[in-house]
Amino acid sequence: MSNAREDKLMKRVFLGPAVILLLALSIFPLLWSLGISFTDMQRGGSTIARQAAAEGITEGVGFLGLGFELTGRNYERLLGDGRLHSTVRNTVFYVFFGVMIQYVIGLGLATVLNQPFRGRNIVRVIFLMPMMMTPVAAAYTGRMFFDSNPLRSPLAHFFRQFSKAIGLEQAISIPWFTDTGWAPVAILIIDAWQWIPFMTLILLAGMQAIPDDIYEAARVDGANALQIFMRVTLPILLPISMTVILIRGLEIFKIIDVVVVTTGGGPGSATESLTLYIFEQALSNGNYGYASAIAYILLVLVIIFSTLFLMAGRRLARGRVS
Amino acid sequence: MNRARNEKPILRRSSRRPLWQSAMLYAIVIFWCFIVLFPFYWLATTSLKRPIDVSRGPRYIPYHDFQPIPDHWQEMFGTQRESTVRHFRNSLISAAGSTVLSLVIGAMAGYGLSRFRYYWGRLGWDNDNIAFWIISQRFLPPAIFIVPFVLLYNTFQLIDTYGGLILAYTMFNVPFAVWIMRDFFNGLPIDLEESARVDGANRWQAFLRIVLPLSAPGLVAVAIFSFIFAWNEYLFALMLSNFNAITMPVLIAGQNNTRGIEWWFISALTLMAVVPVIIIGLLLERFITRGLTAGAVKG
Repeated sequence: MSNAREDKLMKRVFLGPAVILLLALSIFPLLWSLGISFTDMQRGGSTIARQAAAEGITEGVGFLGLGFELTGRNYERLLGDGRLHSTVRNTVFYVFFGVMIQYVIGLGLATVLNQPFRGRNIVRVIFLMPMMMTPVAAAYTGRMFFDSNPLRSPLAHFFRQFSKAIGLEQAISIPWFTDTGWAPVAILIIDAWQWIPFMTLILLAGMQAIPDDIYEAARVDGANALQIFMRVTLPILLPISMTVILIRGLEIFKIIDVVVVTTGGGPGSATESLTLYIFEQALSNGNYGYASAIAYILLVLVIIFSTLFLMAGRRLARGRVS
Repeated sequence: MNRARNEKPILRRSSRRPLWQSAMLYAIVIFWCFIVLFPFYWLATTSLKRPIDVSRGPRYIPYHDFQPIPDHWQEMFGTQRESTVRHFRNSLISAAGSTVLSLVIGAMAGYGLSRFRYYWGRLGWDNDNIAFWIISQRFLPPAIFIVPFVLLYNTFQLIDTYGGLILAYTMFNVPFAVWIMRDFFNGLPIDLEESARVDGANRWQAFLRIVLPLSAPGLVAVAIFSFIFAWNEYLFALMLSNFNAITMPVLIAGQNNTRGIEWWFISALTLMAVVPVIIIGLLLERFITRGLTAGAVKG
């Protein structure tokens, strides 16, 4: 076989499996669920199919005889669904504050790890540990700590001892999982504990890639440590920062396991995330059509978030150059 | 590389650092080590406590304020043995299976995108567009796959099978695998393959015998990520399994409702799920750093 022909074949052989896999398991489901979102499909048949079955009709029911009807009702229903609105609010809350906390602390820790000190390599490895923990397990551990009973939780116990030590009459006691205001914060903290290492790791790699002479030059010009950090380190880290913030932001959009294990979405729906709500609509209620419509809203939110973010990033980068 | 560069200035810089700065540095480091390690310590001690020591505590130090007992671990490997072993095996099989598949598919596609020129005429996409399309699939919200996957898996009777879980996890892992491997192959000089091909090897042989052995670090990084992702995954495991294929995360999450919350038993189970992965991760830490920074730092 000639080289050119062989190459043409090999080209397809190498990329083929990945493309086929993604077409079959990603693009096809994506289009399919867009279709489903415009039907009244439910587990065990749509409303219209069930009605027809009750009347003894089994064939030729619904759109093209497929057994469901085409409808835009799912999208109308979105507008009036109060629970959906609160889950959107919660998800945006997790993403916005989660990313912020994780970035700020991650950046701080990366700065610390970028300093030379004895035992740094071991410390760096220790800092990574939470990232590898099963999120479900991290959530259970979080539940033990955010239990507000000081007889069970070391954290509540610490608060009680601390209040005693500074002479408060009423011990500080935070109703972590029972209060609608605190419960999302507890989830935020658990997710942050787990994913700050990710931020630290990548920002540290970015800092270590900055050549020493840039710092030397700044020092020669008389800049102090804070000025160097603000004017040299941060701007150089901007592209990486945008990347990690985007990655973490998109990941937090998917949050479900921590919520399921800690609060199950409660109290009320104060901590329920969009993914959890979609899961419940689809699998607990069997509303396939409606669940798909909500999932598409989530997709649109994710796309808007990423686009705005990338645009802002580009503008920031341009401002830095000029 | 980073390490080597940073070794030199250690003495110079640290001798220049004022004492208060060193003190602050160590204070932060020790504080954060405590934040990271204490939850693990708490899990470990809780798994050894009598129920009364958990609910009438908190007890911190074994032998000092509580008497550690091995009962919960014995339960896990005694009366609960069948369940523990089965779920652990399920996790192992679905994680390992999807890791192998992701490695094969990811390395091949990564190599293709690094060495050939593609052009998808109808979309007007070249290699970079294709690579971006592939990685973008990793960031789609999984919620959008819930309904189609349930319908698809019902149709093909993949619910509650290893094959089903492996397939789903491979779908999530392949984009990242392609991304890392492409980056890795881009950094490998092309001369070696070319000289092998001059000696009569075809593309495929050159890929298997020359390129793959040289890319071991990239493959290890992909393997770790794929394995840890699949091992820890919850949503799809919950959705696509109901008895036979249930994995550790679903088992742990389900402890909530079965017998009331038995923290001591959950702690043992959690450690059982978490410790092997953390040990692997810590041993191979440098590959993780390398893999994670592959796309991020350059791009």
